[in-house]
Amino acid sequence: MRTYLAVALGGLVGTGLRLAVDLFLPHAETGFPVSTLIVNLVGALVLGWLVGGLWARPGTPSWLRAGFGAGLLGSFTTMSAVMASLVLLSSDGAWWLAALYLTVSVVGGLALAAAGLRLGSRLAHRPMPTTVTDAGQTL
Amino acid sequence: MTAETTPAVVIAVLVAGAVGAVIRFALSRALPVRPGRLPVGILVVNVIGSALAGALLGLAERAAIGHDVQLILVTGFCGGLTTFSTWSVETIELLGGGRWRAAVLNVLVTLVLGAATAGGMYLLLR
Repeated sequence: MRTYLAVALGGLVGTGLRLAVDLFLPHAETGFPVSTLIVNLVGALVLGWLVGGLWARPGTPSWLRAGFGAGLLGSFTTMSAVMASLVLLSSDGAWWLAALYLTVSVVGGLALAAAGLRLGSRLAHRPMPTTVTDAGQTL
Repeated sequence: MTAETTPAVVIAVLVAGAVGAVIRFALSRALPVRPGRLPVGILVVNVIGSALAGALLGLAERAAIGHDVQLILVTGFCGGLTTFSTWSVETIELLGGGRWRAAVLNVLVTLVLGAATAGGMYLLLR
């Protein structure tokens, strides 16, 4: 139950953030959808970083993963808006723009997800600090 | 979203996004990812959400639905139901596990079915 609540709350926040980016970077229905592209690329990088990093460490509660991953980043990013823009651009005759948008989205999204996973796993495998401060008296 | 968008509509968009996210999460749990296999749950929601968005854009074009309804259902519900980040990360994880065939299939099936259903519904309903 707590997990579903976290997903719902994350979904609320993620949708709100996406709406805010849409508001700050508006585009015509037949223009290049910069806001969706930014949202999807940032979301892929951050999710990769979390999956490869913090969440690879044992003891991350499942509601936290669900809330931030499936909830927040899942609904921050969107596949339907990509497809909707492809359809609108193509039916407007802007085939090249549609192809460019799809290519940049897919190649960029996969590259940033990979970069995020790599950055994250570097963090996950960093050893815990092991400073000894008692000069060997109790160890 | 325009300057005339009321706070009630914005709240409805956010709630619709949350509902979409919960449905996506429930489906991805019902169809869990088997290691090295296609992440079917995310594939299904992405294709269904894309088809629905195409249908709604078609209806909006012949003014069968208003701008507010379009914002709530397309930006809110379909946006929350579908995901790009999970799709990207799961594809890279398949590649990292040496399952490049499943990774390529995940990309192609999602894009081809998503674009075909979104485009088909749009053309059918506009």
